[in-house]
Amino acid sequence: MLAYLIRRLFFFVPIVLGVMLLTFVLFFVVQSPDATARRVLGPKATPKSVENWLHNRGYDKPLLVNRRPGEPWHDSLFINQMVRLASFDLGTSDVTGRPLREVFAQGALPSLLLTVPAFLASLVMAVGLALYLVFIRNAAIDFVATILCVAMMSVPVMVYVIFGQFMAAQVLNYFPAFGFELNGWSTPKFLLLPVSLMVVSGLGADVRLFRALFLEEMGQDYIRTARAKGVSKVQVLLRHVFKNGLINLITLVVASLPFLIMGSLLLENFFGIPGLGNVLVTAIQAPDFAVVQASVFLGSLLYLGGLLLTDLCYAWADPRIRLG
Amino acid sequence: MPPRTFSRCLATLAAAFLRLRVSGPFCGLVILCAVMLLGCSNNPHPEPLQKTREDGTPWKVRYGALPEDPRSLDPQVCYDNVSRRVLEPIQECLLEYQPFKTDPYELVPCLLKKVPERIERSAGGVTYLCELKPGIFFHDDPCFPEGRGREVVAGDVLFAFQRIADPKVECPALSNLQDYVEGLAEAFEEARKADSFDYSKPISGLKVTGKYTFEIHLKAAYPQLLYWLAMHFTAPVAREAVEYYDGKPHEGKTRDMFRFHPVATGPFQIAEWKRNTRIRLKRNPNYHTTTFPQEGWGADQEALLRPLAGKALPLVDEVNMTVFRETIPIFLLFRQGYLDGMGVGKDAFSSLITPSRDLSAKYKERGVSLHRDTEPSTFFMALNMEDPVIGTNRKLRQALSSAFDAQGNLDIFFNSVPIVAEQLLPPGIAGYRKDYRNPYGYNLERARQLLAEAGYPNGKDASGKTLEVSLDTTGGSANERLVAEFYQRQFERLGIKVKVVENPFARLMEKLDNGGFQIAAGSGWGADYPDPENFYFLYYSKNFPPAGKNHSRYKNPEFDALFEKMATMENSPEREEIALKMNAILAEDVPHILNMHRSTFGLTQSWAPRIQSNPLLEGGLKYAVLEHELREDLRSQWNLKPLWPLLTLGAGVLAAGLLLLNARRKH
Repeated sequence: MLAYLIRRLFFFVPIVLGVMLLTFVLFFVVQSPDATARRVLGPKATPKSVENWLHNRGYDKPLLVNRRPGEPWHDSLFINQMVRLASFDLGTSDVTGRPLREVFAQGALPSLLLTVPAFLASLVMAVGLALYLVFIRNAAIDFVATILCVAMMSVPVMVYVIFGQFMAAQVLNYFPAFGFELNGWSTPKFLLLPVSLMVVSGLGADVRLFRALFLEEMGQDYIRTARAKGVSKVQVLLRHVFKNGLINLITLVVASLPFLIMGSLLLENFFGIPGLGNVLVTAIQAPDFAVVQASVFLGSLLYLGGLLLTDLCYAWADPRIRLG
Repeated sequence: MPPRTFSRCLATLAAAFLRLRVSGPFCGLVILCAVMLLGCSNNPHPEPLQKTREDGTPWKVRYGALPEDPRSLDPQVCYDNVSRRVLEPIQECLLEYQPFKTDPYELVPCLLKKVPERIERSAGGVTYLCELKPGIFFHDDPCFPEGRGREVVAGDVLFAFQRIADPKVECPALSNLQDYVEGLAEAFEEARKADSFDYSKPISGLKVTGKYTFEIHLKAAYPQLLYWLAMHFTAPVAREAVEYYDGKPHEGKTRDMFRFHPVATGPFQIAEWKRNTRIRLKRNPNYHTTTFPQEGWGADQEALLRPLAGKALPLVDEVNMTVFRETIPIFLLFRQGYLDGMGVGKDAFSSLITPSRDLSAKYKERGVSLHRDTEPSTFFMALNMEDPVIGTNRKLRQALSSAFDAQGNLDIFFNSVPIVAEQLLPPGIAGYRKDYRNPYGYNLERARQLLAEAGYPNGKDASGKTLEVSLDTTGGSANERLVAEFYQRQFERLGIKVKVVENPFARLMEKLDNGGFQIAAGSGWGADYPDPENFYFLYYSKNFPPAGKNHSRYKNPEFDALFEKMATMENSPEREEIALKMNAILAEDVPHILNMHRSTFGLTQSWAPRIQSNPLLEGGLKYAVLEHELREDLRSQWNLKPLWPLLTLGAGVLAAGLLLLNARRKH
């Protein structure tokens, strides 16, 4: 197990480096640092102010390898940034100068407060509904539920958001249609609407998926044996189908964990939640390469961590799997 | 599923529900949620910093929206509109614009005792004698001994000028000021070489002559300096604040950076800044720099403003600016009464504005007012005067200009809100004439005639070949593509062929700088200050890129001579005459195709009437007023909580419960 872990961690390095290189190329080779500076400084910027901006952020260095006479080959933009990130120094924002460690630390909690309850609620509801639909499969309700799920999947998230905000602000008036306050008891009233919308917008797809997973298990021989031995349908569902369907569930759930931390771009923007999704959208619009790069770095680490955790959970959930 | 199976399912669920003994707590939870929902407020704003003032009158809070977090509130850096809107009530400048005079604009003293006196030096150059008002204090802040703000002195202005020249500060005003203020360019270059700025060395262009007095030495006459004194770049800065707020940990606590913690002299100071969420400003109790103006408003505002004349500022106690990244929530909160004003964007345009460009009756009934603001800006298409086809053929440029239907463009893409630009200078700038008409404005017949005179009858040259020109635009979005197609269609009606080249913003800027274009759409200029020099310098031949912004590469000795004369003159009828002559030259030479002066619609609630509409102020919050009681009344009327959703939900839960129980009883 330990050897497996070390081997997997070792694989992280080239993968993260590859992701970072790709991000760097997309950001700086497709659009030069000079062009980035012009976008940040606006149309009134003079060449001198552009040059000064680039110099202050080290963007006047060669991009990948330094071939300037008298300067070390490794004194390049990409290598300097990789060395910095290797020591988990995220640097500062190109636009505001704020330390990114602070930016990410402040953004993580609001993101988690939105995504974790929504994720848990939607998981419980989707699994529960899927089990129920499996229980009554081929019945009229199953048919109606299928239509409803497909309809819910077909509606864009944006429509849910606009409709939800309109209802909250113009019809119900029970809770705020916008805003966020990290302040004990007043926080839930701000999260009620975005969390509900997040659950509802993803429910259709999740129910369909979990139903399919559980139905596949229902067709297995051991289920037939259990039923033949007189185990009730409810017990079969809860003790056998659900447990054996866990492997597939784990893949989906653990792979979603990094996204919980990175937040929801759309909902955070519409509800003014100052999470990491909000940070990333702002950085892309600015454009703020330092923030984008740090987000990609953290995101790739979290994703790789999530995949590793998935494999570990496989071994835990299925005794047939051995890691080594 | 047969009904029997269905009811069996329900029975199973009911049995499980009752077996878990959760029905009691569940019902309790449902009732608790209902009570909490009824008791919960839908107001997204936090409680005001205080309920009442010291005298027992209500604490007045203004609520506004910001499209994003400010990037920097460092007065020497702050340049974007959002940051300026937040900084304006916090940081006052040496001079300021009279809030009610916009045609022409007028500079009045703010931190200075009077508008500086200009002296021509015998050895060449110009000096401005400045004197600060005594007894003006910085905000109370921990960076000062005992947390009490100290008095502003002339040395603070010197420090501000030193910061302008510091390469690490990245002051956007440096490129303009270094050409005139003595010693700025040298100080910048020296610091670049040494990689740090030596603040012990004074700038030769700013001489401190007393506790409150200082002189600004210019290399040449530059009357526009006064406008720079009305901008934050030249506002005094306390050195203690910059050194204190260094963004580093001190005694286990990390201090903010100065750019996020301005310590200034304005009527408000920051009380709370929740990043990416909101900024709250609180009245500065020591503020007494300015009072409400005694004159300048129109007769229609006399009744509203006369009672305020001479009153101490600011007139409200707190300002709450919430960050909204999307426009739909702004509209919803405005309707609920939780915002005092909003801009009319595309999303809500049709529900707010009638086809006759009036406010819809529904909002008039609510007491909402509609305002139309025109910015001192002009948008146009740049024509490359060095291009062998377009640059050498004046008739062709005139034809292109005459073929462009600017009003049609505004009707289709801008809801007819902006106004057609007939000249380069926007309204309010000396030299602008409201009744002036562009001699090569939209006239398709004339355009065809001019094209024939240019040597391209029906768009074809002598050999019968169709004239082909390229049109560079910023591209990417569907809307930008539609606009580009509209432009293309305008010119192709003449029989010529137009090739549209879509560019990312930075690429278009690059092309404008290196001259790699024929026609470039989307060019424009917003006034840094209300002076014709700030627009005509776009066509001064010494301002070819990269030194300046003469993207059209327009060169006309007559225009240059007039520019040099006008640029150094004080405002006068003679100067206006020169500005008119320059306009006539540009109109004939057509180095650009004029498009629009940007205008916007804005709404204000009945309790927060618009006091001033000077586009050079970023909100003018110190003049803002508020009728607190009216707002409270209307808010409570507009946010009634209906009972029917809760009753429906309760009935649903009850029905489900009964269904479950019934099913259980049966099985």
